[in-house]
Amino acid sequence: MAANETTVKLDGVSKSFGEFTAVRDLSLDVRAGRVFGLLGPNGAGKTTTIRMIVNITAPDSGTILLFGRRIDASLQDRIGYLPEERGLYKKMRVADQLRFFAEIKNMRGKQVESKIDEWLARVKLSEWKNRRSMELSKGMQQKIQFITAVIHDPDLLILDEPFSGLDPVNVELLKEIVLDLKRAGKTIIFSTHQMEVAEKICDDICLLNRSQKVFEGSLREIKSSFGRNSVAVRCEGGNGVLDDPALVSKLVRHVDEAQVLLAPGADAQTLLKRLIDSGAVIGKFEMVEPSLNDIFITKVTEPA
Amino acid sequence: MKKFLTVVKREYIQRVRAKMFIVSTILLPVVMSLFVLVPAIILSIETPPMRLAVVDQTGRMYSQIRQALSGDQPETEQNVNSSALRSTRPRRSFSRFIIEEVNATNQPLDQIRANLDQRMRARELDGYVILPPNFFSQGKAEFINRNPGDMFSIQVLQSAINRASREQRLIDAKVDTQTRQELSKPIELRSLKAGAPSGQQSNSNASFTVMFGVSFVMYLAILMYGQIVLGAIIEEKETRIAEILFSSVKPFTLMMGKLVGVSLVALTQLAIWGTAFGVFAVYGVGLLVSEEMRSSIPTIPFLHFVYFGLFFLLGYFIYATIYALVGSMVTTAQEGGQLAMPIILILVVSFYLFWPVSRSPDSPFSFWVSMFPFSAPVAMLVRIVTQTPPFWQIALSLLIGFSTVFVIMWLASRIYRVGMLMYGKRASIPEAIRWARQA
Repeated sequence: MAANETTVKLDGVSKSFGEFTAVRDLSLDVRAGRVFGLLGPNGAGKTTTIRMIVNITAPDSGTILLFGRRIDASLQDRIGYLPEERGLYKKMRVADQLRFFAEIKNMRGKQVESKIDEWLARVKLSEWKNRRSMELSKGMQQKIQFITAVIHDPDLLILDEPFSGLDPVNVELLKEIVLDLKRAGKTIIFSTHQMEVAEKICDDICLLNRSQKVFEGSLREIKSSFGRNSVAVRCEGGNGVLDDPALVSKLVRHVDEAQVLLAPGADAQTLLKRLIDSGAVIGKFEMVEPSLNDIFITKVTEPA
Repeated sequence: MKKFLTVVKREYIQRVRAKMFIVSTILLPVVMSLFVLVPAIILSIETPPMRLAVVDQTGRMYSQIRQALSGDQPETEQNVNSSALRSTRPRRSFSRFIIEEVNATNQPLDQIRANLDQRMRARELDGYVILPPNFFSQGKAEFINRNPGDMFSIQVLQSAINRASREQRLIDAKVDTQTRQELSKPIELRSLKAGAPSGQQSNSNASFTVMFGVSFVMYLAILMYGQIVLGAIIEEKETRIAEILFSSVKPFTLMMGKLVGVSLVALTQLAIWGTAFGVFAVYGVGLLVSEEMRSSIPTIPFLHFVYFGLFFLLGYFIYATIYALVGSMVTTAQEGGQLAMPIILILVVSFYLFWPVSRSPDSPFSFWVSMFPFSAPVAMLVRIVTQTPPFWQIALSLLIGFSTVFVIMWLASRIYRVGMLMYGKRASIPEAIRWARQA
């Protein structure tokens, strides 16, 4: 697991459907053994990008390299893909279903059976092995769908909104599995618009907006490049100060505290002094890293 | 190829294991035999005979009518030696009559009428016929009936009186019995194939019958399994599995696999029915049907059976792929059902070609319709059993047909993929064409 090895490389990739351009001139590197977050609002081009990576559609221009090779049908077997649009054969039994998905990835023989048992145990669904999938709850079905993407032990796992609709316990369970797979040297592309989730598991991110890349890099770098210009404040009074556009560019009030994004040129010391001068009673004043959500919103609403 | 087989295997096993398959396999023969048995039972229900009075003012017709209406058929049919089967069994008539003669000489007609009407009101009589004195010259009689809607009895009665009067006229013309029988003897028309040795005379007839059966089974199979193919193609769309699968298999592989899988299910079911029918035919009907029926089947040349099989498959697949094409364009089975209507129309039209082609199997028209893939299965089968065309024509027809199957499937898979990329949208025809071109 060489840290600098590239699993997926896109170079100047564009794709349009008729008039509509879904992806424009996109270049990115997904490094091996890392979790790569493909982030962006709905309609940004995430799904189209993924479909080109898994060879469902071909790009109009540009190249895509997988494991250093041009994508073709044989490479598909090394990818596990859990699309956002996903389902199961309703009347098929869980075990038959998983066997089918393993075989369709060219996995044969006894190892299929042992993998089925292993994975069902891991997501705590062993006793459902011989039930039809229509008898399963939605959350259970989602876990089975997750297994269909990983059962053939792929080197590259692509998850498109894998946690949507899951309860917190199961989100935690799947998140652990994803991190285990990363530790085992697998590369994971994780697409979502839920920034809180991405923040917790992604090493690198690429932010897409309106078919184009807004930025790409490691989560650490991005956060530090934004600097510490965010303050969490809990105070009584001092409203006039927090509303001053010379100091505060953005104010988000939560239940008991406020998230303050400092205006360019303003610093936290000045803000604190002004608050004290205004007679506000301060309960909390803490410099915080910007959340990915803040970065995301700032970047997306920034004029191009 | 392995992935293709994986798809076929899943499709086949899931469908054969399904309760629907087992139930329909058992149920259909039961329903079919009910369709045959129930009408037979209903028709065999004995209705009370019609009580009929005959007022014969000519004085010569009564015995003839009696003969014509009773089970004893007039001599003409009894003497036809070929209808051995019919003469051994009592003739079953749908309308039976109890007839009586009313003496017409002593009473005035009005009096007789009044009497008979009286008896009809008293429900002693169901109707009466009046043959006026000038019956032989005018050819007119009257039938007074309590139930004028009983078309069936009226027809039987009319033809009986017809026969009776013809007989009586011949007798009046002093034609002796011998001559009368000679004159009414029905003819027998034997159809022989040109150039065939006389021993094989029943050849083309038997082939024709079997071909008709093959076409009919093909028609049934298309109607029954076309919808299932359509549903199978839509299945991955409705369950939203398509995208997962397309990261593993090509759309063409998936669709071919599904088509072949469903078709194997169809063949399995047909084979089960065929075997059951065969066993029934040999052990059950064999006891009832005369020897000649059974001995006629083996006279069909073996090659014809091969052609029957090939064109059956072609006919089935060419229409099944059209259903697949429809399936690739729509998002739900209901939509598909509506779009599938024109397919059935094409199918029916291709079956009507049966008549023009069998009349002139060698015409340019017959040649072209037996090459056109959608009419080829029926048209070519008709040509084979009537005037077998040169081998290259048969081979070419098969080649065109099966190539068309592949082209349609390829087209369908392209439309399917693009349709899937634009979620839940049904394709209009121009869109479908555009989708097939792009992607």
